Amino acid sequence: MTKFAAALALVAALGLPALAEAREVTFTTKLKQYGGPGAYIALYVTDGNGQYQGTLWMAGGKSKYYRHLGDWKRATQGDLREIDGITGASVGSGRTLTVKLDLADALIDAGYQIRIDAAVENMGDSPGEIVAPLTSSAAGQPVAGRGYVESFSYSM
Amino acid sequence: MRHRVLIAALALTTLGVGAALADDDCEAPMADWQPRDAVKQMAESKGWTVRRIKIDDGCYEITGRDAKGDDIEAKVHPATLAIVEMESEGGDDDDDEDDDEDGDEDGNAGNSSLVAPDSQSAAPLTSPAPRNPLLNGNSPPSAVVQ
Repeated sequence: MTKFAAALALVAALGLPALAEAREVTFTTKLKQYGGPGAYIALYVTDGNGQYQGTLWMAGGKSKYYRHLGDWKRATQGDLREIDGITGASVGSGRTLTVKLDLADALIDAGYQIRIDAAVENMGDSPGEIVAPLTSSAAGQPVAGRGYVESFSYSM
Repeated sequence: MRHRVLIAALALTTLGVGAALADDDCEAPMADWQPRDAVKQMAESKGWTVRRIKIDDGCYEITGRDAKGDDIEAKVHPATLAIVEMESEGGDDDDDEDDDEDGDEDGNAGNSSLVAPDSQSAAPLTSPAPRNPLLNGNSPPSAVVQ
């Protein structure tokens, strides 16, 4: 019993802080009816100076088109290890991409920004489509994109 | 004089095209190109099953399956046969054939090459947990397109 209690204490000591370090965040990106093929979308985080911190999701499966996501490409040099395991399909016109993930708590309310680059074949690239603060007060506040994104918001 | 202007304009146009082509992934004179059989042999030596070899962006592009059975698309330098770019999609059963010469696999010619084959699907897309410092590695992100 003592061993069990000790094990329980150890699990609590090791496990609970880990849980407290992440927060479930849902990012919702609704595209306009732009009437073209599916959009490639990079969802990533920068600090307040625009310095790249990491990618949260890449919508679009063919790496040869990632160069059209200009800011993301410049920041990552197109390194595919940045998006290992976090890629999915491109997002069709008028459709909504919902990405749910456990985000490191340290990124929230700490001056970081969430950014989206978007590109549609033969319709132009839109780097910096969305730039929004990553704060608990900005959560739930929709932001309009400057090209293909009708609205972007996140909840936590 | 007019001829000189035309020649200068033509030269600039040609240089511009050259600059655009310089963005391609592979550059090798045709004389240095290895035959398709050599590409196939290289692929098979890696345990790949070759479905198709085509030329894209000045490179050979191999579509097929790797030794694990995952769908692959590998871009190979035509002279050295070095792998320039490699994409793998585990468990992807869709047909990667692309005969419309627009570089995608959607079956449409022209302006659809950014469309993934399942972009219209509303099914959840989950991936293995990444080694990403922004995320809690215990639970992989999930994404849905609706």
